[in-house]
Amino acid sequence: MTAHSSFTDAELVRACRAGEPDAWNELVERYSRYVYAIATRGFRLSDEDAEDVFQDVFTRIYTRLDALRDDSALRPWIAQLTRRRCLDAIAARREIPAEDVLGENESTDLAEVEEAFEVREALTTLSDNCQDILDRFFTRDQSYKTIGDELDLPSGTIASRIARCLGRLRETLEGRNMVDRGSRE
Amino acid sequence: MGTDEYLDLRLGDFLDGLSADGLAPGGGSAAALTVAFAARLVSMVARCSVTWSEAAGIAAQANAIGERAVELAHTDGHVWESALAALRDAEAGDDIDPKRSFALERKLEAAAAIPLEIASLGADAASLAAVAGEHGEATYRADAAAAAALAAGGAAAAAHLVRVNLGVRSTDPRLARALASEQAAQDVAARLLERL
Repeated sequence: MTAHSSFTDAELVRACRAGEPDAWNELVERYSRYVYAIATRGFRLSDEDAEDVFQDVFTRIYTRLDALRDDSALRPWIAQLTRRRCLDAIAARREIPAEDVLGENESTDLAEVEEAFEVREALTTLSDNCQDILDRFFTRDQSYKTIGDELDLPSGTIASRIARCLGRLRETLEGRNMVDRGSRE
Repeated sequence: MGTDEYLDLRLGDFLDGLSADGLAPGGGSAAALTVAFAARLVSMVARCSVTWSEAAGIAAQANAIGERAVELAHTDGHVWESALAALRDAEAGDDIDPKRSFALERKLEAAAAIPLEIASLGADAASLAAVAGEHGEATYRADAAAAAALAAGGAAAAAHLVRVNLGVRSTDPRLARALASEQAAQDVAARLLERL
């Protein structure tokens, strides 16, 4: 974890513009999975094409960061850049215009990628204990017994702990959505 | 058949497949789906228990266990078919080929891992059923006990497959883990069936 890990997107953008190398590392770390997920899960690009999109998107972010008008809008900007590059890649393969590419499935998959990213961001606001136990159960598919053995917890209490952590995650996500809705009104 | 196709399969078609003379689906897939039924039943109890503050979190875990169990139902058939084919090859061969023996060993190891996971999921589903039986609304507690019984059945069947199909020794740690999962699930089921 670096000093920039706790930065908001807007703070990170300002640090990148100021030429702080660690800030760029953090930006790539924060958004690499996101870009890759849009390319592979949202648009189902091959690993090879996704890698090309990945390189191209981060090159553009690096060279065009000054063009970003609202520093807090980093994520939608990266999403837009990535989507465009993915459409170009698919259009080039199919030899059709980029605007004809996006189908209903891609839209649904993109929404899921966005949702997954929001959940991942919300997870970082939870306590380390909550992040750990949710990661063990939902990402690593660990059994209650394994979790109990490794964390030295009675296995009968783990399901309730996970449920409480999920409750906190839900509150965080609902709080964000309230703010989002409020800001649009 | 992929996992999604398994989920989209009509129950009648799955049952027809189960009773057909092919190798898969077989006992492992049926055990996994039994655990999936148990998990989904726990989810139902939680969702119907509107005054229980942790209900949504318990339902989410139950659904996750159910999804994993369906994945294993799908995987078990394929892995077991592959292991059986390797066994037949080994039986047909006259000379002992070390490479082939190693490949067979690896396939049997893989086949052992699936029912072991199913047994473990059965224990987890039973554990969630216990929580639902304690905190869920009274009207639905009998369903929690039913879920525990199903989970225990799935775990017992899976542990049996670990023991018999793979011929592991009684000291094999995989068998010990499978039996521990089976026991844990059965303890919960016995308790809930008596109380609820």
